Amino acid sequence: MTNLVASALPSRAGWRRTGPAMVSAVAMVAMIAVCSSLQSEVLTVPGLALVLSTTVPLVIAAQAQMVLMAVGDIDLGIGNFVGLVTVITATKLVSSPGTGALLLLGLVAAYAVLGALIHLRRVPSLIATLGASFVWLGLGLFLLPTPGGSTPEWLASFGSWQPAGFPAPLLPILAVAALVWLLSARSSVGVRVRALGSNPVALQRAGLRPLAARVVAYAVAGGLGVLSGLVLASQTGGGDVSSASSYTLITVAAVILGGGSFAGGTAVPWGVAIGGITLGLVSVVLSLLDVPSNMQSAVQGVIVLAVLAGRVVVGKVLR
Amino acid sequence: MTLRTLARPWIWGFAAAALVWVLILAISNQGGGQTVSLALSLAPYLVIVGLGQMLVITAGPGNIDVSVAPIISLAGFVAVQVTATTGSVPVGILAGIGTGLAVAVVSVVAILGLSVPPIIATLAAGLIASSLTLSLADGFTAVPDDGLRRLLNLRPAGVPVLAVAVAALTALVVALLRRTTYGRSLLAVGQSRPAAERAGVPVARVIAITYLASGALAGLAGALLAAYIAPSPDLGTRYLLDSVAVVVIGGTLISGGRAVPVGIWGSALFFILLDGLVNLVGWNTAAQNLLKGGLVLFVLFLAGGGTLRNPGATTRSRRRLRPAAATTAGTSTGENSNG
Repeated sequence: MTNLVASALPSRAGWRRTGPAMVSAVAMVAMIAVCSSLQSEVLTVPGLALVLSTTVPLVIAAQAQMVLMAVGDIDLGIGNFVGLVTVITATKLVSSPGTGALLLLGLVAAYAVLGALIHLRRVPSLIATLGASFVWLGLGLFLLPTPGGSTPEWLASFGSWQPAGFPAPLLPILAVAALVWLLSARSSVGVRVRALGSNPVALQRAGLRPLAARVVAYAVAGGLGVLSGLVLASQTGGGDVSSASSYTLITVAAVILGGGSFAGGTAVPWGVAIGGITLGLVSVVLSLLDVPSNMQSAVQGVIVLAVLAGRVVVGKVLR
Repeated sequence: MTLRTLARPWIWGFAAAALVWVLILAISNQGGGQTVSLALSLAPYLVIVGLGQMLVITAGPGNIDVSVAPIISLAGFVAVQVTATTGSVPVGILAGIGTGLAVAVVSVVAILGLSVPPIIATLAAGLIASSLTLSLADGFTAVPDDGLRRLLNLRPAGVPVLAVAVAALTALVVALLRRTTYGRSLLAVGQSRPAAERAGVPVARVIAITYLASGALAGLAGALLAAYIAPSPDLGTRYLLDSVAVVVIGGTLISGGRAVPVGIWGSALFFILLDGLVNLVGWNTAAQNLLKGGLVLFVLFLAGGGTLRNPGATTRSRRRLRPAAATTAGTSTGENSNG
């Protein structure tokens, strides 16, 4: 059976890597089509910018989740982490930029330490990040018990930046996806990180240190989490530790939609961008369709299931 | 099973709970019995959810039920509404359980029919449930049944009736795991799914029963919790993280194959007493969360390799679960490192 699969690999490997993202891309295009049929201005530059802007922080957070899923881990603390970053942005980064920047760097370092501890103590990442999520939430509530604060000027001006030629939100989405792609697919660090996810024993026997690979993955995830929080704060204009709590699970869904897997070893930055946009667009489509906001999460759930079902069907047809 | 292997996993939760209890005693200078009695009346809800989560986690790597929180909230509304309409408490509780089962059916269909990873399947089912909850919550007027609330608050000789009932439920789960074919099959699937498949264990049926049981238990917890507190869309929110945490601190292997139902009691009491301690000291929710997270991480990193006695078991068995995907991943990595 395994031999059969192996002999049929060339085409199937290609399908496995790009197929899931293709199905998600179809869903994304369908949603944009629905949007534009309801409101023709969606297809103009300002329209697209408006529609896409809400998805940017989610997509960046999903990239962070993807990096950790590439090493075979999962991050159940990313939602609260992004929330904490918005809080630090809205408080310390405004009052004393130096301290704020140091705090944000400290958060990235904290992620790296968390990764190191997870590796050295051989504990499941699921539980460790779950525990860490309480810490992020506690820190956020400690700094800013109720939502509020303001954003630094440079960040606010980034949030309201409206270039003429293209929708502004596309820039951070594409830039981050390209960066993660360069890191994961075109650098030796990326190969090590993916090797840790697919075969840690082989990585060790090759004389490379799995610990370093995991720490790098966690530091990158922490950095992306900080970036996501900064963008979110630039859009909301303030800090709220629970503003991103839904990200925790939605980012996992975005990675799966984009073709990632829990088994680790795969990095799919472009697919994740598509998956994240698809899930982020749900609220836009629903508000255009005049569906009560109560139903938003149900539609998100149904879309996830529908896309995955579509993938199963397409997979069977291609086989 | 020897005493040594049994004693190891669940001792942590009880030890931590005892430590917190002593701290409370030292700070408050009041009768410690009352504290324990109060903790025993709050812990059962968490234990009920935890038992379901434990069964799911025991089914092997990748298995987790993230729909428990929305199920609890939804079942709370449904149970209170049905009780108010029919006037019968048992029917209301059954409706709550039925709600949990219905949501779990969605997860099971997605997991088995569409081969969706469980965390995504239960997430999607949970998202659907939370939408229903919000729709139900709009203009909700029914109030929880008074009789049921009194029963849940009943504490003869300081021992809550519910705690006794849930203790019996725990014993039932222990017996289920040790003595029944289902329990044995579940442990076998958790230890090695391919091996269980080749041994003729009906893996799909075992997985289906497990998720249905988790949904039903979450529904039961929601029905009771709504009567004890009040139905609200956020009723179950904290139970997602807490249920996973109590299961793992209780000694159940996160990689599956070993279930420790008794340990859930220890860690649930630990969590409840910790909340009590923080309230007693007068700390706010910020400190409460910091302490909870810090302690979970501390216990986890301290116990470290102890909780995962077979290092690497997680990754190895996880790969066995999806051989084809692993082959692809391995090949792509190989290509890149060669080139």
